[in-house]
Amino acid sequence: MTAPALILMALVAAVPICYAIWLSLNQYSLLQAGLSRFVGLGNYVEALTGQDWWKAFGQTFLFAACSVALEMVLGTGMALLLNLAFRGRAVLRTVVLVPYAIITVVSAITWQTMFDPTTGFIPQILTALHLPGAGVVWLGEQGYAMAVIVMADVWKTTPFAALIILAGLQAISQETYEAAELDGAGRWKTFVNVTLPLLRPAIVLAAIFRTLDALRIFDLPFVLTHGANGTQSMSMLAYSELNENRLVGQGSALSILTFLTVMIVSAVYIRFGGGNIRDIAREDR
Amino acid sequence: MDTALTSPSSPNGPRRAKSRSLAGIIAAAGALALGLSGCGGTAAPSAGPSAPVVDPASGKGASGSLSICGGRDSVGLYKGTIDAFMKANPGITAKYTVLGATTDESRTQAVQRLQAKSGECDLYLTDVTWTPEFASQGWLQDMTKVTDAVKGTLISSTVATTQYKGKSWATPFYTNAGLIYYAKDKVAKPETWQQLYTEAAKSPGNGVVYQAKQYEGLTVNFLELLYSAGGDVIDDKGNVKVDSSETRKVLDFMAQGIKNGSADRAVLTYDENATRLAYESGKFGYQRNWPNVYGQLNATPLKDTFGVAPLPSFDGKSSGSGVLGGWNLALSAFASNPGAAVAFVNFESSPDWQKHVAMDYSQAPAGEGAYSDPEVLAKMPFAKELLVSVKGAKPRPVSPVYAQISAAINKNVYAVLSGASTTEDAVKNMADQMKTAQASF
Repeated sequence: MTAPALILMALVAAVPICYAIWLSLNQYSLLQAGLSRFVGLGNYVEALTGQDWWKAFGQTFLFAACSVALEMVLGTGMALLLNLAFRGRAVLRTVVLVPYAIITVVSAITWQTMFDPTTGFIPQILTALHLPGAGVVWLGEQGYAMAVIVMADVWKTTPFAALIILAGLQAISQETYEAAELDGAGRWKTFVNVTLPLLRPAIVLAAIFRTLDALRIFDLPFVLTHGANGTQSMSMLAYSELNENRLVGQGSALSILTFLTVMIVSAVYIRFGGGNIRDIAREDR
Repeated sequence: MDTALTSPSSPNGPRRAKSRSLAGIIAAAGALALGLSGCGGTAAPSAGPSAPVVDPASGKGASGSLSICGGRDSVGLYKGTIDAFMKANPGITAKYTVLGATTDESRTQAVQRLQAKSGECDLYLTDVTWTPEFASQGWLQDMTKVTDAVKGTLISSTVATTQYKGKSWATPFYTNAGLIYYAKDKVAKPETWQQLYTEAAKSPGNGVVYQAKQYEGLTVNFLELLYSAGGDVIDDKGNVKVDSSETRKVLDFMAQGIKNGSADRAVLTYDENATRLAYESGKFGYQRNWPNVYGQLNATPLKDTFGVAPLPSFDGKSSGSGVLGGWNLALSAFASNPGAAVAFVNFESSPDWQKHVAMDYSQAPAGEGAYSDPEVLAKMPFAKELLVSVKGAKPRPVSPVYAQISAAINKNVYAVLSGASTTEDAVKNMADQMKTAQASF
């Protein structure tokens, strides 16, 4: 019975991927009436020896590193809070997911409005309280623009990370804590020596999900800066070659490079990230 | 360009993959690749502008169903025009299909259908910058005769946006040109850009806001100054002309404006909507924006405090000269009911319907007569200023690789305005990137 499924998989995934790889080996512009020429690895050489790809590569990794690190720290904190027994916990667990449910483009526009130097409330508050960052045009400044994009992403996806970590937290048996208490460990010591190590697989899993997503970031920088001020991601670069410039060969090569980057990073995570990801998946069930 | 190679055609075009779900990398790659797969052999039917000429009389007595495809119908103009058209032509059933929410999205959707030689859409609503790309691919029918029949009543600059290689590939529907909105109580009506910036620098509340985010809008804002300073981007033969003293002068002028506070630095993040919102805060003296802002501004407390002016000239050199926006209707080479399509084009471009474009939908008509019509003036009191702007406006660089040319402009202009690049480097980069873009065609 697996044969039809395999054929379907091949059609849905393998064939198009192979085709994309084939396209990336050709010089092919949609503006040339179907004229296409095989250039081997020419598009890749062009991308890897030019500045644009490496710039986008660096900017994407900077974004991924900052946003994922913050999301893991804040997500763990949020998971610990949601794990406490209190009234209305179930409601709160649903409510914290609201930012995650909002379409990214919409939340990007919201953040843009919030940080508008004239009408946005954040610059107004900063100015009124004479805080650092007052008078800065956040989205129009190198560094600051990336900060807003990271903040918007953290705001949106921390609840998602928190839920995965919360699942890991609930898998830790109460007996472990009782044993720690018998040993006379304080709250902080229990957290560092018991909770955190046992939580590691869950955190790694959340970090993998978030990193893979972050490396493919497109909509936030597209809406907020259109790639200006050091915020052009790898996906945006591929998009502009493919869709705006209609250079299918180069665009495909950039897409494949993005794909390879994501593959390599996930392989590294799984190999060296520690924590047995399969275990947590089993415990979840 | 004249060799159409035969290769397998396929129904899809490029589509961006931006799945952020947990579907994972395979799904994402698959989706991207699926989108890509459509880009495979897409041989244009008859490459180059050698299409048969459409007869304007072919619309007479047309019947059957008609499908018009284009962008979001934000003010109801398309639906309204179709309803009025069907009333006048009971034999035709017309419908409007929205191809995408943004200009870019609807271009992608239109290109996908045209590549696939789809007969789904008879008429495409095309942005004024798409004409060369679509015409050069053999996707459109030659509308020269249809457009010539109404040419006398249309503003000639709008007709120019339909032209590629000496022929008309569309008929104007409505047009658009930039305007200056100014606070009458604080600042004077501007005659030159220099005067506007000087006035704006006098007091923090006098500043000017415009669109300087790194996108197509910045291209337009820059070209408006460049054209009025007598500069150009590419000439009729396709030679790159951007490396000029005018370009340097305009770039320095704009950068200086941000440095000395004439223009708020926040413009680096502004598109049309953000510009409007900033101006509505009452903290600025001038805003450069499109005519549609008039109605929105009138619904705010700033009603009665603002004036509308045509775009100023640069240095008092010439009369102001803007950049044309607006939308045309192009007849698909694969249309299933070309007769009804021609009937529709004849209807919308008639002087009578052009009046309704302004009166009922507050869009800038392509028909010149509408601007002096009393009924229109009652609804659109700035029609005179608008006509000056539209008549003085020039099309954007006419090239099948317009998208890349525009990107070369807005990226480098942005770099100068934000202080990341010197004028000299930016001008050189701009010219180089334009030449590379043209070589890719």
